[in-house]
Amino acid sequence: MANLPQLIEEDILRLNEALRKLLEKSEAATALIIDKGGFLITHQGDSEQFDVTTIAALSSGSYLANQTLANLVHETSFNSVYQQGENLSMFVVNVNEECLLVVIFKAQVGIGTVKYFATESLERIAAQLKAAQERNPGAALDLSALNLANTAELFRRKT
Amino acid sequence: MAIINQATKELQVKIVYYGSAMCGKTTNLVQVHDHVQSAAGNKGKLVSLATSSDRTLFFDFLPIEAMSIKGFKTKFQLYTVPGQVIYNTTRQLVLRGVDGIVFVADSQYEKMAENVESFQNLEDNLQALKLRLADIPYVLQYNKRDLANVAPVEYLEFVLNNRDVQVPSFTSVAHKCEGVFETLNMITRMLLHKYIAQNAPQSA
Repeated sequence: MANLPQLIEEDILRLNEALRKLLEKSEAATALIIDKGGFLITHQGDSEQFDVTTIAALSSGSYLANQTLANLVHETSFNSVYQQGENLSMFVVNVNEECLLVVIFKAQVGIGTVKYFATESLERIAAQLKAAQERNPGAALDLSALNLANTAELFRRKT
Repeated sequence: MAIINQATKELQVKIVYYGSAMCGKTTNLVQVHDHVQSAAGNKGKLVSLATSSDRTLFFDFLPIEAMSIKGFKTKFQLYTVPGQVIYNTTRQLVLRGVDGIVFVADSQYEKMAENVESFQNLEDNLQALKLRLADIPYVLQYNKRDLANVAPVEYLEFVLNNRDVQVPSFTSVAHKCEGVFETLNMITRMLLHKYIAQNAPQSA
């Protein structure tokens, strides 16, 4: 499994821009880039009403469960997962080996519209992640600012 | 592996609680959720995908932020796996992107075979993901120490912690929150030290 690239400000700005364009064109409410391990990488749109951290964790679980289903019916993969609701719908689609794009949109916006505009965004997102990977293939983590003086009490029990 | 976002100075780490059915993995998360001291807004909701009989079906998920790490916003994502043997596919899915593991063992004598089987299953599943247990920080938690028929810690150590490198282990009574935070802090500490060691400045 390839490691995720270390993302710098430029990467996040470009990923956010790709998401903003997707939201503008498709009139979707929120878009997230997540990794398949369940981490949220970045998101745009209305996030106040959603718990995006948990949405990221569950979306990746749901997507991966569907990949297993695909294998069970002798398909190589199901590239995306679409959940239709009464008011809001969700679309989770593969970006590359590591990442997924999640789009939350009003149910009256057709899935076709979202899929159409998402295709263009997917390419931009994948290209940016590839650029980040190539910039720093070792994926070294710069944690110099991390203060580990007090690791015994990272999490404290309420008294 | 962990996500580092230099732009927002954010580090996200995934810790998975692994172990046989009914050993107390979900209880650990519930106790962390209920008892963790948190600054405003840094404790997430505990999400549990469970059956009606309280068995974990897919996973439990609890996002929390460590209090005392300055400079980086460090978000820990705690997951459990379903313990039942039949849910192996879901266990593999949850292990994807894992950074650290807490192996929860049921201390009762009659559960020892299940503990060993679950540990072997963990290694097999990591292998399927092209990971090696030796490369991933993990700790052992010997749970249910309040029950009458528990094996001595030395015996559990012999059975489960008998490798080239011995890992830290903790006794616990998870439903009373005893040992829960000690375990969590140790795995967190091991994880952070691993990242720091990996990235120590190279001398010229």
